[in-house]
Amino acid sequence: MKKIENLNYYELLEVSPTATSQEIHKAYEQIRRVYEPNSLALYSLFTPEETASITQRIEEAYRTLVYDEQRKKYDAMLRGRDVLPDLPPPPPEEMKYQPLSVQPMLTLPAENRYIGAPKSPAPKPAPPKPVPEMVAPVSQFIAEFNGSAIRMLREQKGFTLRHIADSTKVGTRYLECIEAEVFQKLPARAYIRGFLILYAKTLGCEPEKMASDYLKRYDAAMKLIKK
Amino acid sequence: MIELQDALRKKEIWAIGGGKGGIGKSLITGNIGITLARLKKKVLLVDADLGGANLHTTLGIGVPDMTLSDFLNRRVENLQDVIIKTSIPNLGLVSGAQDFLDAANPNFAQKTRLMRHLETLDADYVLLDLGAGTSFNILDFFLFADHGILVVLPEPTAIENAYRFIKSAFYRRFKRVVADQNIKNLIDAAMDQKNAMGIRTPYDLIERVKSMDREVGEILELEVLKFRPKLVVNQVRTKNDIQIGFAMKSACQKFFGINLEYLGYVEYDDCVWQSIRSKRPLTVEYPYSRPSRCIERVVHNLLRKEQITRSMLY
Repeated sequence: MKKIENLNYYELLEVSPTATSQEIHKAYEQIRRVYEPNSLALYSLFTPEETASITQRIEEAYRTLVYDEQRKKYDAMLRGRDVLPDLPPPPPEEMKYQPLSVQPMLTLPAENRYIGAPKSPAPKPAPPKPVPEMVAPVSQFIAEFNGSAIRMLREQKGFTLRHIADSTKVGTRYLECIEAEVFQKLPARAYIRGFLILYAKTLGCEPEKMASDYLKRYDAAMKLIKK
Repeated sequence: MIELQDALRKKEIWAIGGGKGGIGKSLITGNIGITLARLKKKVLLVDADLGGANLHTTLGIGVPDMTLSDFLNRRVENLQDVIIKTSIPNLGLVSGAQDFLDAANPNFAQKTRLMRHLETLDADYVLLDLGAGTSFNILDFFLFADHGILVVLPEPTAIENAYRFIKSAFYRRFKRVVADQNIKNLIDAAMDQKNAMGIRTPYDLIERVKSMDREVGEILELEVLKFRPKLVVNQVRTKNDIQIGFAMKSACQKFFGINLEYLGYVEYDDCVWQSIRSKRPLTVEYPYSRPSRCIERVVHNLLRKEQITRSMLY
C-alpha cells in the first residue's frame, strides 16, 4: 500500500509498465476525467487542493510517459530505485523494457508454430531496441493471412472469440465463420472487409494486408461456388 | 486449519449493503437470488435488515408467519425452521424480524447465534440483505460474508455514504484483528475525520500503527489486500453514470488502497418501479428488460469472479 505521493507514474495512470503509448494516452484521458474538479466520486474523499495536486501529477506522468525519450529516462530511474524495498511490486529489471519489444509478441520464434524452423536465424529482435509500431513484425512472418492463420494469431495472443467480439463489436458467429472460412455464411464482401480490418487492429497486425489476403481467398472460393 | 475449513465449505455467503437507504439493496438482492435460482443453484435469501425488513415484498410474498424474530426470541430453535418457500424453485427466504420492538438491535449473543446458524444452512448461496446505515450489526454482517457487495446510486449522497460504509467496515475489520487496546483506541480516534493526530487515510493509520508496533502494522497491511468489496451502480441513466463506478474504483485504490471490484451496473427503467408497485419480482415480471439483463450480468461476474472493464463498454 502506498501513499498517493509515492505512486510511480505508471501506478498513477493505472497502466502496466509495459503499456504502449496508445494505451497510456487512453488511460490518461480516462483518469483525467476521474480526477477533474467536481468529480462526483471524489469530493467526499479528497479536498479540492488534493484533487488539484493529483491532477497535476497525472499531467506530469502523462507528459513523461508519452514521449519515448523521457519515458526511457524515467524507466531507468525507476529501475535504479527498484532496489529499494519501498517499491513492493518490483518488476524485475527486464520487465520494464522487454515487453515493449516482445509485445508484438507473435515474433517469439521459439514458440511460434507459425514461423517454422527456417526462420530461426531471426531470433528475438534485440530486446533493448524499442519497437515503434506494433504492426510491422508480425506480417513479416506470416506470408498469407487465411482463416486458420488468423485463429492461430488470436490464440497466441490469448484472446478468446468473446474478447475479439467485445472489442470489434462483430458477432462471434461471424468471427467463427471468418476463422473457419465458411464463406457462404458471411455477409457481403464489403462487410467482411470491415470486419477483417477491425479484427486485424485488435490483433495488432496490419489491417490492409490481412484484409486483402483474406479477401483474395474469399474471391477465389466464391468464384468456384458460382461456377 | 482455517484454510481447510474454507475449502470444505462449499457454500458462499454474499452480503449486499451500501450505507444509504432506498438505493435498491433489497431489489438487487431479491433479483440476484432469483437469477441464481434459475441457474439451478440452491439459494437462500436472508433479510438481515432487522427492523426494516421488506425483502419478502420484492419477492411478492405477503407478510410471512415465521420470521427471524421467532428465531432470535428462541421461539424456534433452528434457523432452518423459519425458511419459507417462495414461488421460485430453489429459492428460500428467511424473512426479517417484524414484530418486536428491539428487533433492530439484537444483542451480541443473538447475533453470533444467527451467524453460527447461517454457516450451517444447507444452500449453495446465502444472500444477506443488509439495512441502511453503518451500525455495528450491519458492518458485522457485511464482514462476516464471503463477498460484500456495495450498491450505490450515481448521486453524491449515495456515493458519500458508500465511502463512509467502506471506511467503517474497513476500520471495524482492523479492530477485530488487533488485540492491543492502545491500537484499538487509535483506530477509533482515526475514524473521526478531524482527529488531532492528522490521520486522514488508512495509509496514515497504518504508518502510525507501524510506529507503535511494526508487526501489527504489517498485519493490517495484509488486511487491506484481503478486503475486496464489490460495487454495483444502480439506476444508471447515462454513460457518465457508468463511469462513476470506474471513478470510485480508482479513488478507492488511491485513497484507501482498497481494491474495489466493479461488478456492473443496473440501468434505470420504469419497469422496476412498475414491478415493485405490482409486488412482483422484476426478473419474473420483466425478464427481458434492460435492468434484468444488467442483473444477470452482475450475477455472471460474481460467479466467474470477474469485473467489468472499460473496454467492455463501447
